[in-house]
Amino acid sequence: MSVFDHDYRPYEGRLTPLGSRPLVLARYALNEAWSSKITIGLFVLALLPSLVELVIIYLADNPIARALVMRGSPALTINESFFLHVLETQCWFALVLASWIAPRLVAFDLSDNALPILLSHPISRFGYLSGKFIALAVSLSYVTWIPCLMLFVYQCYASPEPWAMGHLSLAAGIFAGAAVWIVLLSMVGLAVSSWVKWRVIATGAIFAVVFVPAGVGGIASAILRTRWGLLLNLPVVMTELWQRMLGAPALMNSRLELPTLAMVSVLIIACLLCVAVLNARIRAREVVRG
Amino acid sequence: MGVIQLDRLEVRLGGRTVLAGLTGELRGHAIGLLGPNGAGKSTLINTLLGFHEPASGVARVLGLDARLDRMRIRQNVGYMPENDSFIGNMNGVRFVRYMAELAGLPSAEALERAHEALFYVGLGEVRYRKINTYSLGMKQLIKLAQGLAHGPKLLILDEPTNGLDPNARQRMIQLIKDIRKQGGTKLLISSHLLRDIDETCDEVLILNKGRIAAISNIEEERRSHLNFIELEMEGSTEGFTQKMRSLGCECASFAGGRIKLVMPDALAPRDLYIAAAEQGAQIRRIQLRRDSLEDIFLRAMDYEGGRVDHVRV
Repeated sequence: MSVFDHDYRPYEGRLTPLGSRPLVLARYALNEAWSSKITIGLFVLALLPSLVELVIIYLADNPIARALVMRGSPALTINESFFLHVLETQCWFALVLASWIAPRLVAFDLSDNALPILLSHPISRFGYLSGKFIALAVSLSYVTWIPCLMLFVYQCYASPEPWAMGHLSLAAGIFAGAAVWIVLLSMVGLAVSSWVKWRVIATGAIFAVVFVPAGVGGIASAILRTRWGLLLNLPVVMTELWQRMLGAPALMNSRLELPTLAMVSVLIIACLLCVAVLNARIRAREVVRG
Repeated sequence: MGVIQLDRLEVRLGGRTVLAGLTGELRGHAIGLLGPNGAGKSTLINTLLGFHEPASGVARVLGLDARLDRMRIRQNVGYMPENDSFIGNMNGVRFVRYMAELAGLPSAEALERAHEALFYVGLGEVRYRKINTYSLGMKQLIKLAQGLAHGPKLLILDEPTNGLDPNARQRMIQLIKDIRKQGGTKLLISSHLLRDIDETCDEVLILNKGRIAAISNIEEERRSHLNFIELEMEGSTEGFTQKMRSLGCECASFAGGRIKLVMPDALAPRDLYIAAAEQGAQIRRIQLRRDSLEDIFLRAMDYEGGRVDHVRV
């Protein structure tokens, strides 16, 4: 129908399935996130270490090139520790990216009070959050497990010895470790962004949520002379977890090592807190008590 | 099937009962939701959309339970909220398309309908501008456009003329009348402006303090009060009203010598002057009029509030 006919007419065409509506939100959210030049800049920056690591793998698997470029240097070894380092680097870039993207996904909706209109459509609060979560998780995947697994695939291809079959669990560990971090970052990012409407403050608050408890945990550990304060130190908890998932040698003093169950419990509690915040904040209408 | 059915609906928010035992059925094509501020109009709309959970009772929209069939209700409803509600950094066409896609339209159809809806409400020329650059009137119109784009069976408008200048208000009223005339979409219009409801609706639900003060079919009320006369008098209005009642009129006296009466067909206006002269009263002003929504509203408020001292029917 032409737009020049200014008459109202009911819609009688087909409708998309109800379950696909969060994908609409995810598509628009992805578009919003990646329309910013800063997002592109951060993405490029996050991929630079992968390029360096790609060169390292090339040199490690190519003795002639190594001899030409790194005369007299010790041999490079591509193993679990190497990929742990790769994963760590990429995951901390993911934190930077999440702290920039997450507020863009939620803060615009909240600052313009768009939730009543969005949620008056056939989409639940869970669906709304699922859409935003998918957008954030996809964006973070670009800088975490995707480049890590691409390096893994390249190592499998470039290694002169049969390497892939012996290291399949490493690939699974990379994916699982990155997935845990993406879920946690997405939850924290969405929860903080829904709590703090101002984007710049929300960006800072996401960093604060990760690093302030680490400081508090460090102080508690020092005063009480216990290792349990480290459970509040998310960087330590995640590094420990990744090390175990990838099967890399232990990085910490065995006296300070944390039980896996305790670390997983901390992550689950953090996610539950985020769910509680999201449940309180993502509503079409706020109810004033009293 | 009624557009909205309420059965002992009670809604409690923050420990307070906001809607108490609402029961009634609304079948009109354009239903007005009237009431003073704080009467519960917006709460009722939010409950119908599934934003608030009823504490007890049932609310049905187009035959669907507001508690159990939220998604199906939202599929069939377009909603224009009272306050600003949009995504400011999107342009008009993108925003309306986004909302249409959320309502289930495939992407290409949503884009086509977004253009149509924006032209229909009169925002065609500014559809590529960011919404946060729109004037207040334009923001009202884009809320209407997004509510219309997916072709809902019921369009809920919460204070549609809020903050509009007279021209923009007239345009909005004209659009609502136009949508009503097209016939495919039922309307539920919440307002505290009697004139807006009077101009656009054929049925009205009046709320006061969370209770139903009246459900009235405006058209029928008007038809039943064809010989409605309003008088301004001086002198013995008491004797005059008694005389008129004895002649078969329904009379209501108001302060300041104002009298409203409904005359039987057998009487003519000349009989008013005769009765006034007999009672030593003077008719200063006489106006033949229909029963207005204002009268219906005031009656409902007075019955509800127990303030019957000003109105004697």
